[in-house]
Amino acid sequence: MEYALLFAPELVCLLVGLVLFFAVVLGWSYSASRGIAMVFGIVMVAACLWTLSLQGEPFFPGIYAVDFFSQLLKTALAVGFLFVVVASAEPLTVDRSGWGEMPLFLVCSTLGMMMMVSATELLTLYVAMELTAYPVYIAVALHRNVDTGGESATKYMVQGMAASAISLYGMSFLFGAFGSTYLADISLSQATSQPIFYLGLFLTLAGFFFKLGAFPFHFWAPDTYQTAPHPVIAFIATVSKIAAIGILCRLLSLAMPGGWEVAHAQTALMWASVIAMSLGNLAALVQRDLKRLLGYSTVAHAGYVLLALQTFAESGLTAALFYALGYFAMSFACFLVICEVGRSEDRIPINAVSGLYKRAPFLCFTLLIGLFGLIGLPPTVGFVGKWFLFSAALQRGQFYLVLVAAINATVAMYYYLLIIRQLYWAEPATQETIKPTPLVALTALATIIIVVAMGTLPGPFWDMAARAARALIG
Amino acid sequence: MPLLSAILLVPVTTLVVLLLMPKRAVRGIRLICACSGLLTCALGLQLWVGYDPAMGGIQFEEMIPWVAAMGISYHLGVDGFGTVLVMLNAIVYFTGVLTMWDLKTRVKEYFAFMVLLVIGVFGVFMSLDLFFFFFFYEIAVVPMYPLILIWGSGNKEYAGMKLMLFLLAGSALLFPGLLAIYHHAGLNTFDLIALSQHAFDAEFQIFVYPFLYIGFGVLAGLFPFHGWSPTGHVAAPSAVSMLHAGVLMKLGAFGVLNIGMRLLPEGAAYWAPAFSVLAVVGIIYGAFVAMRQTDFKFVIGFSSVSHMGIVLLGLNLAVLGTAGADALNGAVFQMFAHGIMTALFFSTAGYIYDKAHSKTLADFGGLGTQMPRAVSIFILAGLCGAGLPGLASFWAELLVFLAALKIYPIAGAIIIIGLVLTAIYILRVFNVAFFGPPNPKWENLRAMDMSGLHLLPRAILIAALVIFGFVPRLMLDLINSTTMAFLDAF
Repeated sequence: MEYALLFAPELVCLLVGLVLFFAVVLGWSYSASRGIAMVFGIVMVAACLWTLSLQGEPFFPGIYAVDFFSQLLKTALAVGFLFVVVASAEPLTVDRSGWGEMPLFLVCSTLGMMMMVSATELLTLYVAMELTAYPVYIAVALHRNVDTGGESATKYMVQGMAASAISLYGMSFLFGAFGSTYLADISLSQATSQPIFYLGLFLTLAGFFFKLGAFPFHFWAPDTYQTAPHPVIAFIATVSKIAAIGILCRLLSLAMPGGWEVAHAQTALMWASVIAMSLGNLAALVQRDLKRLLGYSTVAHAGYVLLALQTFAESGLTAALFYALGYFAMSFACFLVICEVGRSEDRIPINAVSGLYKRAPFLCFTLLIGLFGLIGLPPTVGFVGKWFLFSAALQRGQFYLVLVAAINATVAMYYYLLIIRQLYWAEPATQETIKPTPLVALTALATIIIVVAMGTLPGPFWDMAARAARALIG
Repeated sequence: MPLLSAILLVPVTTLVVLLLMPKRAVRGIRLICACSGLLTCALGLQLWVGYDPAMGGIQFEEMIPWVAAMGISYHLGVDGFGTVLVMLNAIVYFTGVLTMWDLKTRVKEYFAFMVLLVIGVFGVFMSLDLFFFFFFYEIAVVPMYPLILIWGSGNKEYAGMKLMLFLLAGSALLFPGLLAIYHHAGLNTFDLIALSQHAFDAEFQIFVYPFLYIGFGVLAGLFPFHGWSPTGHVAAPSAVSMLHAGVLMKLGAFGVLNIGMRLLPEGAAYWAPAFSVLAVVGIIYGAFVAMRQTDFKFVIGFSSVSHMGIVLLGLNLAVLGTAGADALNGAVFQMFAHGIMTALFFSTAGYIYDKAHSKTLADFGGLGTQMPRAVSIFILAGLCGAGLPGLASFWAELLVFLAALKIYPIAGAIIIIGLVLTAIYILRVFNVAFFGPPNPKWENLRAMDMSGLHLLPRAILIAALVIFGFVPRLMLDLINSTTMAFLDAF
């Protein structure tokens, strides 16, 4: 029973998956499935909160760990799932025949992520990663426009599978080097000065970099962001980032304190960070499609997160986790509005949000807060988050690296401001107002509150992130 | 409730109330803002009176740990400089609200953004924590973009974007600079007071100081990074120009003073000669460019570059020798005087523009007979800019000039030429636009001269200029003890 309790979030997730499966088989309406998903989503959040402070290794010692780190991220994942379900009311960009399956795919993927953040063994991790990926591959392909959906899904799937194959290949090297797939054994080994270790590590990271959209596995991001159905991409852009950052933290924490010889890994990650943020920001400057622009901005933000992770220090892990939580909220604020505004549009050029101020003031404000967050302006979490990330890098004395990152943030401001200009200044193409449902409005409000609360009262959130980071380092 | 938090809380509450108010309640929105402005003035006055110059140092301190693990605390406090600048912001806020009384479009948003700006500025002048200092600093910058874009005029898209890019590029230099100070000290605190007691090694100071000086200096109109400032002033609506030139640019100078010079005295001393040269170039360059302008607001915009050059020069001279105290007193006095003066300038130029829909100097001629009151006020501001005795700027500029003559006689000689140039460009404006035969095109303006409520904000600003012009001791007594203590560190 105790073990079952430790599994509570996953069990709820599994249960809702089964219920939704039968709902699909029995041909229940979309609103019914969505209702179920929402109710269970709330239960899932409650279960996560309930198990927040528990720790243990249910059933499979060394393979599956429940600790504050995993439970904190699971809570965020559950909240994210709930939010995305709310945002996917009437997902017109999804083919009508696929509506019923949408919540099912989302919940399966969420289950995979929950397992991912708890996995402490390479194969479990791999299986969890695949469970995360497959439902989303299908969901991307559910686009009502077969060509668009096909193109988007093919790009996403082929690159995703290639990345996970590379990851698996890398894990085999790690196994070869350490003689074990248990992360605990890997962290203790002294084999880390061998080239095979670096080979294994970098190849393994490929799969996670893919999920995060970090250089050099970012190529899918702009295309898939642009063409995938809006609620699906909202899921990929927000919820899966939490898991991706989480698992990177888990893996890189093995190098701390002083476990691995990390000099080379540090250099490589540093360059990956610099290239990701510069490339993402520069490419985003010339984008005319809102979702594509956000795709490139994701690449840039992956760079900021790597900036903290490449420090291999507790403060870096904490900053990355803090930023993961904050980034989820900022990014969701943007995608929620995209889901609402572009409900019936396949593509969303930047001028689709022109004069949104007149059409939907509150949604416009939500997007504004999201964009302020992504720029990194106070009083949003974007500012505090960047402060922490940069601080972690400076702790290692990487002054110029932080300078490059800060200049990058300035460059990024340009394209975000262009969107804000459209929002508040440009004339709308249509006068048609958009009335969000009360539920959507409530979710938007909740998102704004998270973004601003984390930005003005970061203390408690920082402490949570720090506790999670300590749980990782042990 | 502690006084400083109360001052900060007034605009914060105002902002929350504004956001909750219906859009149509324009009159209520204006009234609330005016009351909040008046209240901050009253509290600012209480602060001014309550600050004990004999004791000096930081007063009205309050501290709440914020992120304990990172050493971030909500730590407020003011010294003499802060007191003066808080008062300045309160005055400009109140008069700014009154100046925009006739605003018709998107009133609620306008005041919300403006109040946000005011919150940021108050926060910067009071914060004794690097994190909060920077937090408020960025908050003050953010609203400028929508304010210029939505309510501005002319080439506002270009101006707004240019302003944001310059200012945030400055912030990009501050990010590593401020964090490097935190980590290099290794005290695990962002507290300004604790950090100021730490002796940073000279090499580090010399390395980091330029980042802070240029990063903050961008906002203070530091030559050659001043390009955003005149275009931004011109495009912004009147009250935003008032806040922008009157207060926002002071944030930059205050940052240099309160963070750069306080924490890195050796770095400041090392770089002071080089940066003095930049400041002198800024003074002369701004004046020359102002002479050639054909637009009211551009003249004022470039005059701001020139006048802020005097502030920056004063700051640099402060660490360079025996006359340092005069220079620093002059610089802080000039921050206040220029803030009030330029607010008066923009408030009046904005008024004329609102009525005539033109700011081209050559369009006018003999406007003095058509709008005598507005023009008189403009002339008064102009004379203050030219350093007329009896107005506040006179003392401020005099102190800096005297210090400059003592420390760098050549620089002193050059900036006295700058003063002459200032007189020339100001008198040129008077000559072209205000005197001479009245242009019949503007006869309709006769009925639209300032009256009643329009005169109130300008009267307040004029009163401040005159009071401190005749009784400079009011100011100098307050800041001198802080100056002395500040310079002891060097």
